[in-house]
Amino acid sequence: MFRSRFWSRALIYSLLAVAVLIVVFPLVYMLGTAVKPNYQIVNLRASLWPVQFEWGNFLRAWNSAPFGRWYINTLIFSIGATLGQIGSSLLAGYAFAMFDFPGKRVLFYCLIAGLMVPFSTVIVPVVQILADLHWLNTYQGLIVPNIASALGAFLLRQFYLGMPYELGEAARIDGASEWKVFSRVYAPLATPIIAALAIISFLLNWNNFLFPLIVINTTSMEVLSQGLSVFQDQFAVNYDLLMSAASIVIIPILVVAVAAQRRIVEGITLGAIQGA
Amino acid sequence: MLAWRSLFSGGVFATKLSFVGLGNYRDALSQGGTQALQVTGIFTVGFVVLTMGFGLAIALLLDVKLPGVRHLRAPFIIPLVVPSVATALIWGNLFAPDFGIVNRVLSAFGLPQGDFTSSPSLALLTVLTFSVWQFFGECVILYLAALKTVPLDLVEAASVDGAGPWRRFRYVRLPLLRRHTVLIWVITTLTGLQTFNQIFVLTNGGPNGSTTTALFYIFTQGFVQFNTGLADAMGVILFLVSLCIVVVQVGYFGRGARRDV
Repeated sequence: MFRSRFWSRALIYSLLAVAVLIVVFPLVYMLGTAVKPNYQIVNLRASLWPVQFEWGNFLRAWNSAPFGRWYINTLIFSIGATLGQIGSSLLAGYAFAMFDFPGKRVLFYCLIAGLMVPFSTVIVPVVQILADLHWLNTYQGLIVPNIASALGAFLLRQFYLGMPYELGEAARIDGASEWKVFSRVYAPLATPIIAALAIISFLLNWNNFLFPLIVINTTSMEVLSQGLSVFQDQFAVNYDLLMSAASIVIIPILVVAVAAQRRIVEGITLGAIQGA
Repeated sequence: MLAWRSLFSGGVFATKLSFVGLGNYRDALSQGGTQALQVTGIFTVGFVVLTMGFGLAIALLLDVKLPGVRHLRAPFIIPLVVPSVATALIWGNLFAPDFGIVNRVLSAFGLPQGDFTSSPSLALLTVLTFSVWQFFGECVILYLAALKTVPLDLVEAASVDGAGPWRRFRYVRLPLLRRHTVLIWVITTLTGLQTFNQIFVLTNGGPNGSTTTALFYIFTQGFVQFNTGLADAMGVILFLVSLCIVVVQVGYFGRGARRDV
């Protein structure tokens, strides 16, 4: 009994160790390669572990492209789009759950359809509209098409369906306006859900690549992912610079993600498990 | 607007459009669109099977109550949250000819090296491998949460009745996870259908269109070659295909699941 238990435990731990290794290895490889001189990366006889550290690679990569500017652009885009998504989801979810109005069913089915259909399939007409508005290469062109979130609205509707109507009634009797009932009573109740939604939306916007790729075509307005792909074209065989640049892009967001780990897990499971 | 525009020809930014009826659909399907749909199909099936398979397997391992296992959850989130363009760059390096790690390992075992991103037969597999690495963590997290909803007394009852680990999983836990499995299935399918960044960085749709999926086709036709009509037509097709798949998944399998529980 004891022996078989020992072996099954050993098996579980080693399988998990292999899985973790597979997940982490590319990142370790990136860091290891980023500090190597280029000639050692392509040398088949050189060891995989860096022996000669070229810390200057990071500085060279940073100076070869406007990473600072790209960081600012990505921040503006991600924060703007996330705030929009949270605001619109809160209002829409609240309205769907608490009020009766003509056309509510039809609108709700539209919302559900929006949940199921990928945004990227309608990207061509969206860009045409942006072009007509002369919004290409602008922050509003990046942010405005992304401020609606079908998933967020749906989740907050589910949340508010479970909230007692009497709570708002009590405030109304005390003379609170309709807006105050929402902003002071119901909105704060949703804080945990909003936190989880916000971190997930932020990461999705941060990592969005296809949309900026189409809307933006001037270097100074590019976001990080986009800039990095241009960087790749420019420095195709400078593997040391490529990996340093990848590190510059990956490490800060990785730190944020590790810090917000629990919220991220909540955010990922929120939609799937509550919806089930 | 998408459906309307798909009936016209003209560039993205052209103001004068000429009506061509369903001609765009015919052209889209004859000019590489059929291949793009096939590639999408093969890719998505492989993607769904592998991510869900690995996801469930790892989630089952992580669900075991052993010291320290709880802390091993975090690494699986990493590929999900860092920009996939950056990780695709790393994988491009791992799969590089000659000095790439994968080829070094192959040579070390005396196996022939592969041209992973520029040979038509291997490129899709390379993109698939990377995409699975990038996304399977989401399935791990989702299945872990789903496993928590399985009542422990049912599993224990089966254990008392003499069911081994495999039978406890196959006949008790898996059926109870059915509702969640349908949802995870929908999520992974939609993600698979929308794969873009990985392809853009690793292979740029090539060689010979062997990694051009429907979405990538929309991108190249619409924004590289400016055949907007073709892009719109493919957009409508992808839209309808996605909708049909999800409706079948949720409507047919989802309903069956509700009856079971």
